Amino acid sequence: MTALPAQSAPVPRRTPAPKPERRLRPAPEPGRRAKPRLAYAVIALGGVGLIVAVQLLLSIAVAQGAYEIDAFQVQQAELAREHQKLSEDLDRVESPQYLASNAEALGMVPNAAPVYLRLSDGAVLGQPTPATGGAAASAPLVPNALIDGVPLVTEQQQGQTPNGGTSGEAPATAADAPPVAPPPPAEGLPTPATH
Amino acid sequence: MNGTSRHPMRRILLAAVVLVALVGVFVVRLVDLQVVRAAELSEEAEGRRSTSVTVYGARGDIVDRNGTVLADTVMRYDIAVSPKNANAGPVTRGEPDPNDPSKTVQVDVPLEQSAAELGAVIGLTGEQVQQIIADSLAENAESDFAYVAKLVDTDTYERVKDLGIPWVVPWEHPSRYYPNGAVGGNLIGFVDPDGNAVAGLEYSEDECLAGQDGAYSYLHSLEDWVQIPGTEVVHEQAHDGGTLKLTIDSDLQWMVQRIAEAQVQAVGADWATVTVMEAKTGRLLAVADVPTVDPNAPSATDSANRGSRAFTAPFEPGSTFKALTAASVIDAGKADPVSQIIAPYRYLPPNGANINDSGFHGDERLTLTGVLIESSNTGMSQFGERLSDQERYDDMLAFGLGERTEVGFPGEEPGDLHGGPEGWDNQTKYATMFGQGLTTTAVQIASVYQTIANGGVRMPVRLVDGCGDDTPAQSEGERVISAAASQQTSAMLERVYLEGWLADKWEIPGYRVAAKTGTAQVPDGNGGYLSGYLVSVSGFAPADDPQFVVSVSIMNPVKMNSSAASAPVFQQVMSQVLKKYRTVPSGAPAPELPATW
Repeated sequence: MTALPAQSAPVPRRTPAPKPERRLRPAPEPGRRAKPRLAYAVIALGGVGLIVAVQLLLSIAVAQGAYEIDAFQVQQAELAREHQKLSEDLDRVESPQYLASNAEALGMVPNAAPVYLRLSDGAVLGQPTPATGGAAASAPLVPNALIDGVPLVTEQQQGQTPNGGTSGEAPATAADAPPVAPPPPAEGLPTPATH
Repeated sequence: MNGTSRHPMRRILLAAVVLVALVGVFVVRLVDLQVVRAAELSEEAEGRRSTSVTVYGARGDIVDRNGTVLADTVMRYDIAVSPKNANAGPVTRGEPDPNDPSKTVQVDVPLEQSAAELGAVIGLTGEQVQQIIADSLAENAESDFAYVAKLVDTDTYERVKDLGIPWVVPWEHPSRYYPNGAVGGNLIGFVDPDGNAVAGLEYSEDECLAGQDGAYSYLHSLEDWVQIPGTEVVHEQAHDGGTLKLTIDSDLQWMVQRIAEAQVQAVGADWATVTVMEAKTGRLLAVADVPTVDPNAPSATDSANRGSRAFTAPFEPGSTFKALTAASVIDAGKADPVSQIIAPYRYLPPNGANINDSGFHGDERLTLTGVLIESSNTGMSQFGERLSDQERYDDMLAFGLGERTEVGFPGEEPGDLHGGPEGWDNQTKYATMFGQGLTTTAVQIASVYQTIANGGVRMPVRLVDGCGDDTPAQSEGERVISAAASQQTSAMLERVYLEGWLADKWEIPGYRVAAKTGTAQVPDGNGGYLSGYLVSVSGFAPADDPQFVVSVSIMNPVKMNSSAASAPVFQQVMSQVLKKYRTVPSGAPAPELPATW
């Protein structure tokens, strides 16, 4: 639809009437049409074939990937379980009950009399008193059902882990590893500057 | 040939009608499948090809002030069997050929052997496993499900899987794990086997801790159940619960529980509670309850002992309460530490009450300090009566008595101030001055001493320091008594520590300590008192700059029925607290105050 009214259309230019052409002419020579090029067909069909092939390969790859993912997921679940087992073991041997039992098994006793050394002037605050008393068996005082039957450090065999079994690689690595030197003392302690 | 030529139109019509009818049948069938039953059928198809998976939202951890995990969520497994399939006959499995170890042969494993192998892993005998199968089948011949073990750990689960018995199915079952056992067990509480919180902070903070399970489904291949890529549909996102942070220090908590338990055993007490509180913040560092529950095995502890008595068992506090009365009187300006009275053995006030001290003595010329050192009921009565009942009652409320603390522990008791002044009879009016005739919880008493230690400002009692990233707003606290009154009360309690009859039993060298004992009678519930006592010590240190409040209560120590039973606990716990937090020993000695005149 046009917005202009019909009257406003420009008046066609007047031209002199053309000479009538001859209506009949000889037909053009047949057989001069351009030959269809084989290359186009090959490209078109080849393209279709390629697409089909690529799609096939892609879906094979995706399907194959699904199996790989599945295998990794199974592996991940196994590792997560392993992680949980180990962190449970670690958590319970970190418990104060287990640490205390081990300390007592090694003959340590708590000292209730604290003594402080003031670094600024070297003053000793408090009365140094040796800890008294034998190794108290504190294990039954604060129970922990999780460490029942977990051997103490003094009861373990070489290479044995606190969870009671021998872990797969632990003995081998322990045997292979060279003895580690104790770390050097930290530099935080003040040392007298003597000459 | 005749027929065709005779009625061509009829045959064409017949064929057309048959054709239309046939097409009609197909159309009806098509509409039926594609429109009418479309939803139902596609659901069924989905159901066959897809599988739904529950994603467990982990219940939040409970951690102490240093981040040590006190309660953790772990995956456990329920082992179920299909009795129907188990009974169907022997299962086949590959085993190494005895003649040629490199090859495997298929052997039939009878039910007896499978059951014995399974039983050995889950801790049952083969007969018991078979019995479970037989019982289930007796109930329902087509039974396809029966539990043989619940909540087994990962190790057992893996060994069950390695057995490869086709009629055994393990199910995931999230569960709770308390790595530190009974450390704080009475506070933390526990969950039942189905995962519902039933006690302690697990119960009261369930809103914070509870996770929300999610679900997703996916299409899988027919044979090996491998997920088809891009078919995962999340129906509901799983959300983990928040981490609950406590004010408790688990190492200290362990030490305090250990000290309390050892003393309970030594003196043959019924129970004991020890509360350690930060004097400046009102945070609870340790709340030990003996007997103790191990949340890993709550059923090993009698159900009455599974809560926290420090919150749930109000008792008549006895003489530790005298510090509160003294602080009230000083705050009101009606006395000071050297105010003098004569304390007789028996005191008969004008209103008809009858007060006596625990041991006979002649008239003693005591100051208020001396009254606290001697723990004289008659002396304290003469100071307490300088205030009206209402004034004392208002102070008790301001000290946080008579209502539940801010902790809101499950089953927490508010204590009972015997109603209020209008409910007090003549004897109770005086008894409430020295801690009888009213009840408080151990935590409330610790809070009273916290107020005195903190310059008269009571801080809200805190056990939880926030959920997840939320931290509760810090409170400024509320002033209960003047700083001067609290300082004078503290100075008197230091003299009690130095001159009281237990001075050599609770000595902590190097530190100034303020403390008061109590030996309270325990109501028998019928208006009288039991023969045993509740013995207690409450105090704080260092008195020159109070950091820690320790309150010890021991119920009915039959082998040592006096506060001498609680003093060593106070001494050991306070020493441990001061040592653990590297508190610098006090410099100047405690100020002198005369006890007599």
